[in-house]
Amino acid sequence: MTTVVGLKCVDGVVLASDRRASKGGMVGSKSVRKIYALDEKKAVAIAGQLSDASYLINLVKAEAKLMEFRRGFPLTVKEAAKLLSNIMYLGMRNYAPYITEIVVAGIDETGPRLFEADVSGAITDEDFTATGSGSPMAYGLLEGSYRPGIKVSEGASIAAKAVKSAMERDPGSGNGIQVLKITKEGMEWTDIGGNGS
Amino acid sequence: MDGYRREWIMIPKEFGYERPFTLYTPDGRLIQVEYAAEAVRHGSPVVGIRGKDFSLMVTHTKDTDPLMDPVEKIHLVDENIGIAGAGYTGDINLLIDEARLEAQRHRVVFEDPIDVRTIVNHITQFMYQFTRYSGVRPLGAALIVVGVDRIGSHLYQIDPRGLMMSGKAMAIGMNCEEATNILREGYREDLDMKDAIMLAVKALSKAEESDSPVEVGIARGSKFIKTNLEHALSLVK
Repeated sequence: MTTVVGLKCVDGVVLASDRRASKGGMVGSKSVRKIYALDEKKAVAIAGQLSDASYLINLVKAEAKLMEFRRGFPLTVKEAAKLLSNIMYLGMRNYAPYITEIVVAGIDETGPRLFEADVSGAITDEDFTATGSGSPMAYGLLEGSYRPGIKVSEGASIAAKAVKSAMERDPGSGNGIQVLKITKEGMEWTDIGGNGS
Repeated sequence: MDGYRREWIMIPKEFGYERPFTLYTPDGRLIQVEYAAEAVRHGSPVVGIRGKDFSLMVTHTKDTDPLMDPVEKIHLVDENIGIAGAGYTGDINLLIDEARLEAQRHRVVFEDPIDVRTIVNHITQFMYQFTRYSGVRPLGAALIVVGVDRIGSHLYQIDPRGLMMSGKAMAIGMNCEEATNILREGYREDLDMKDAIMLAVKALSKAEESDSPVEVGIARGSKFIKTNLEHALSLVK
């Protein structure tokens, strides 16, 4: 019950999400965060069980920070995604899976990177991706609008439109859009729309 | 008769490889722990000073040979805490890693950076265990912990006995008494950061004559930074 979108652009990456948390058939919260920064150049967007996702994020942030202090330079986006998916894989193998899908996005020496990790711990390297109950609608827009080589500014408006069209038709998504742009200069957060609809 | 009740002098023969290293002498001392403290007194010195809204430490970077890169001695433990040690490098590194782990454990549980007192307490407990068990050797390391949290800036010292001390100015490592004397003479309550750096460097050079660059660790605001002397002084101009 969510719509989360990630896009890779030439000069960075974009994440976008809605703000609704569902509790069964009810709107549990109208202002929930689904995008979290791991550090200055990496962020994740989550769909699924919020508690599982936030525990995983805390764990990955801690492990990544430890690694950075020990070796003196930060994890690449791929390393962070793999660290996350390894934990999720162990969860699945131990019959106690983390019920969440996580989009990992960021920028490192190899450029802008975008990955998606699922419940089984599989990670895929993507140009653009959408997860959550609204993803079929979001994909409809993304497949039509996404082109390789777009800039972050354009990517941000495509991502926001994808989340918006999902919010129109998916009852599990709604209550405003949050967009995060990550470029070499850093992070830029934008909130679109209120908590009403 | 239980081995632990034997006369201290008899133990090496009876215990073989399982001989406990830390055992009381008849007059109540723990000789191995005192030896560990002695090892620290041969280590390269670290000087720390706490001011009104900052705390800092200085060391010489260890350079053994012109062909080798200098070894940095101030370690970042988390965004708000730094540690420098005197004594055996391996023992210091073990403690640094334990401190880093504890800092991140705290973040996982509370989603907030650890406070200085809590991490110092944890390191102290960790170190103290090495004075209690057989088959281990007390760590030959003393630490100066500099950090800042929401209740202020802090300066702590931890020694091999598992003793933690908080203070305004302190030194560990070789000739720490001489360095402490300089600190005692020069310390004032209203010391600003520039004067504190100068005083710390003066105390450090008294303890150890060295051409090696001076490393400075400063905790201020909500962050700990590690830098060189020139940059540290440019920060306070």
